[in-house]
Amino acid sequence: MAAVAVHQFAPCITCHAWSPDRSMVAFCPNNSEVHIYKLSEDKWEQAHILQKHDQIVSGIDWSSRANRIVTVSHDRNSYVWNYEGSEWVPTLVILRLNRAALCVQWSPQENKFAVGSGAKTVCICYYEQENNWWVSKLIRKRHNSSVTSVAWHPNNILLATTSTDGKCRVFSTFIKGVDTRDSKAGSSSDSKFGEQILQLDLSFSWAFGVNWSPSGNTLAYVGHSSTIYFVDDVGPSPLAQNVAFRDLPLRDVLFISEKVVIGVGFDCNPMVFAADESGMWYLCQIPWGEEDVINWSQVWFAVF
Amino acid sequence: MMAATVDFVEADNAEAIISRIEHKSRKIESLLKQSRPVEALKTALEGSPPNTRDERCKSANWIVVHRAIMAIKDLDALFSSLDPEYYDILMKYLYRGLSTGDRPTCDQCLRIHERLTERAGLGCILRSLADTMNTV
Repeated sequence: MAAVAVHQFAPCITCHAWSPDRSMVAFCPNNSEVHIYKLSEDKWEQAHILQKHDQIVSGIDWSSRANRIVTVSHDRNSYVWNYEGSEWVPTLVILRLNRAALCVQWSPQENKFAVGSGAKTVCICYYEQENNWWVSKLIRKRHNSSVTSVAWHPNNILLATTSTDGKCRVFSTFIKGVDTRDSKAGSSSDSKFGEQILQLDLSFSWAFGVNWSPSGNTLAYVGHSSTIYFVDDVGPSPLAQNVAFRDLPLRDVLFISEKVVIGVGFDCNPMVFAADESGMWYLCQIPWGEEDVINWSQVWFAVF
Repeated sequence: MMAATVDFVEADNAEAIISRIEHKSRKIESLLKQSRPVEALKTALEGSPPNTRDERCKSANWIVVHRAIMAIKDLDALFSSLDPEYYDILMKYLYRGLSTGDRPTCDQCLRIHERLTERAGLGCILRSLADTMNTV
């Protein structure tokens, strides 16, 4: 598999996020800063440096509609950055964590974001108009270890988390005043904030990298035992599949369509998994050609 | 399709497991007498009881698997007929063998480990290391 383009931004990158039009990328070069590079005429140029955190920035997400960046760091803080004029202006979000923040993601409607932390908690942050600040609501229960990854379901209420306790869980993050109860949706909008909908015990070792399919019907996450788990029909009776592979473990996954998943991890090469007509997932070796129009919206640089 | 949870076998079933292992052991001895070491190893690995915390069951099964491992002479024959579904469990037993420190056992386990890694990849090693619940 040949890379489409290779750019060396830094010796080591801990996390990154693309701008809505993919012309810019924000990343953390393994320090407390966030660098934003802009692509102009085939060359990447440094456009901004965001300096506010005291320790490594462990998660960045760039919302597509509102054009806001959220960053979280090992310093237990989070900032929401708004582009005003020609500068990125930070707003501190008090997460109320006593351990590092590890991952962050904007919700599909971008009115909330979720933060996973080493404090075995997940922070759901939403904007309170009256006080003009971001409030953090904590999901303290259930996790027995660090929350390594979070992923929002398209309905903006369900959140999947993975943890180093090996489990993948789905929670409801319904917040009164922010979310609306959809009478058609059924069970998900009947749940209270922080209520666990589902717990998956498929992995016997650390779990990382959870992601929902575009429709929200399928969930994929990886375990440290070089296995990837696919769960179809997430709900009261899910269908789970394990796919074990011969290479080093994965760390993150991305659905690029309903039936195709890309995994990246310690093996330094992306892996592609696909589901056949009967719904069985398998590892595929697709030779990449220029005619493959695949929208790469996530690239993982191994931290070596 | 697999269930989302794993059940553990309790200690009072241990006697049943141990008698099954003894039955397996007789079958393995007869296979070895017929010079069918690969079949013997498959029989030993089959029905390995990782879903139990009872150390006696694990030790009993290890003795049987160890016997079969030491009887392997032809590695090419082994890997041309051993199904991939046995790779992960075999790797776990190889590590148990390597941890004994006994010279002939370690030599044999290391020899098989080299070929198994070629066949099954590093993922197989990861699965035997990372799985702290289903140990042998």
